[in-house]
Amino acid sequence: MLAYQIRLAWKSLRRNPILSLLLVFAIGLGIAVSMTFVSAYAFLSGNPIPSMSDRLFHVQVDGWNPQRPFDDDKPEEPPNQLTYRDATALLASTIPTRQTVNFKSELTVHPAREGIRPYREVVRLCRGDFFPMFAIPFRYGGPWSREEEAGAQVVVLSAAANQKLFGGENSVGRTLRLEDRDFRVAGVLDRWRPLPKFYDTNNGPFDQPEEMFIPFGLTPQLGVFSAGNTSGWGNCGTNFEEFLQSECVWLQMWVQLDSPSQRDEYFAYLGAYAGEQKKLGRFGRPVNNRLRDVMAWLRFIEVVPPEARALLIISLLFLLVCAVNLIGILLGKFLARAPEVGVRRALGASRRWVFTQHIVECELVGLLGGLLGLALSLGGMRLIDRLFDTTFGFTLDVRLFGIGLGLALLAALVAGAYPAWRICRIEPALHLKTQ
Amino acid sequence: MLDMRGIRKVYRTSHIETHALSDLDLHIGEGEFVAVMGPSGSGKTTFLNIAGLLDTFDGGTYTLDGADVSRLGDRQMSRIRNAKIGFIFQTFNLIPDLSVFDNVDVPLRYRGHGAAARRSAIDEALDIVGLSARQGHLPAQLSGGQQQRVAIARALVGQPRLILADEPTGNLDSAMAMEILDLLERINSTGTTIIMVTHDPELANRTTRQIHLLDGRLIDLASETPAPLLGRAATAGLDAAAQG
Repeated sequence: MLAYQIRLAWKSLRRNPILSLLLVFAIGLGIAVSMTFVSAYAFLSGNPIPSMSDRLFHVQVDGWNPQRPFDDDKPEEPPNQLTYRDATALLASTIPTRQTVNFKSELTVHPAREGIRPYREVVRLCRGDFFPMFAIPFRYGGPWSREEEAGAQVVVLSAAANQKLFGGENSVGRTLRLEDRDFRVAGVLDRWRPLPKFYDTNNGPFDQPEEMFIPFGLTPQLGVFSAGNTSGWGNCGTNFEEFLQSECVWLQMWVQLDSPSQRDEYFAYLGAYAGEQKKLGRFGRPVNNRLRDVMAWLRFIEVVPPEARALLIISLLFLLVCAVNLIGILLGKFLARAPEVGVRRALGASRRWVFTQHIVECELVGLLGGLLGLALSLGGMRLIDRLFDTTFGFTLDVRLFGIGLGLALLAALVAGAYPAWRICRIEPALHLKTQ
Repeated sequence: MLDMRGIRKVYRTSHIETHALSDLDLHIGEGEFVAVMGPSGSGKTTFLNIAGLLDTFDGGTYTLDGADVSRLGDRQMSRIRNAKIGFIFQTFNLIPDLSVFDNVDVPLRYRGHGAAARRSAIDEALDIVGLSARQGHLPAQLSGGQQQRVAIARALVGQPRLILADEPTGNLDSAMAMEILDLLERINSTGTTIIMVTHDPELANRTTRQIHLLDGRLIDLASETPAPLLGRAATAGLDAAAQG
């Protein structure tokens, strides 16, 4: 019966092609606008590392100013970064399966290739665990070894940096000069674009990952400051050595804890560490540590701005307006068919059948409009990428495609329910003599 | 086949109340071919709509094929219309963008029959009306007489016990009207009860029984004087919605 109803619906749409196109276009426009923002929102609020997100934890300890909170808006929260003293001390723990401390800086790159002038590049200093715990794919080579962790001059390049500096060849083992030092290329990453850049959400959580990665252990030797956020509540020192020993927070720390017991054990370790620091005269505030997994961390720092939610709601309201506008058109279209419905009722069609028949027709409009809208929304996403100069590479995955079609069918149902109800309530006897 | 007792139907607007049928008592037996006659506004179409379960009524009881159908819900009435009643209309009422085959197919679709059973029934019905060769034509490609024969095939295809025909020859010339009547007589000869509304006494004379309606009442012409009654009809002020 459904196949028959779909066939009748298709015939009905072909009967008035211009009107049908108008209906399809109206739903399509609503879907295009709403799905552009739904997709953008889904990208911004999505899980950047679904396979590991519940096992990766952001570490926070509270050694902040006893006199005032780190964030006046969230006075109960500890600072969101660590001091160098605390980070390096916490790295001594053997509880986590993997762990990394990291920050971004800027170094001067001296390319060996002809025709490329030296340039400043954003570089991330991190531990070798950074790569496996964040499931970062390698095209060539791999992370540096544990022996090289302490301060070997090794570098991992992004695919883009490798293309720029070595023409995309396998550059593992080649030398790259950064500042006044030669670094050996240990590995080249494959394409990798976490959205958002969860491991460091300071200064652009949706920016591209860094182009180069070098061992965190090089920090004292290189004497480079963070190119990200540094927050202090006292004296941050007059030189780099003093800065490293100061109470300034500037490092992000992540640990991989694979089980609840491991998490509990590490949390207790943080508590013990904070207690020790109190005894040493640091950590003047109450013990207040945090371990948040990836999604909890992203929620906490509100990585998706409220404006994105507002735009999402507005776009869905736009779809609703499109659907509501179709009610009048569909009502006219359906009621014009009253004589045919009268005949069908005389021949045995129940009200329910007539209602279903017209809903099927609306859903066919919704389906076609949905497909049109999804195609248009791909264009909309590219437009957003271009207008805001982003490189998100928005696209529609199966889930978003399903959401788009679902919204289109829902909008068509909203538009068609009342007209279908009206036409199924007509008195057949009134229309049988008026054909 | 059909038994109506005290059927009343009143059309109401804010200003006027029109009695389309008043205490109508009627019995039509199995296999009869009955002509319903009467002047415009006498209640013929209202009677036919009620008989076909297309309209409700305000009082009385209606028994169809032995079952009381006075107070049924929409789904039950639809099922009975589909299974037991065939309709033939003056204006044919074919669905314009469906082929002859698909038009005849319509009532079978509501029964949920399989494709093979439907095809067989449609072929048989079109064969009876002599339009087997026109299955793929659209209604607009047929003459008026052919369209009415398609409508008859559509009424026949579900093998109904009762056929209700509302002025089935009203839009046809006299030769074509006789052809259609021949066809209805053949159908009636197979045992199908037919009730036909007509204004044409010549057609009515070919049926097995004639009944006359006036002011929504059944008139026995053999026992009543028609002249005063006809005079009443002229002042009845029937609402156009009564459609008789």
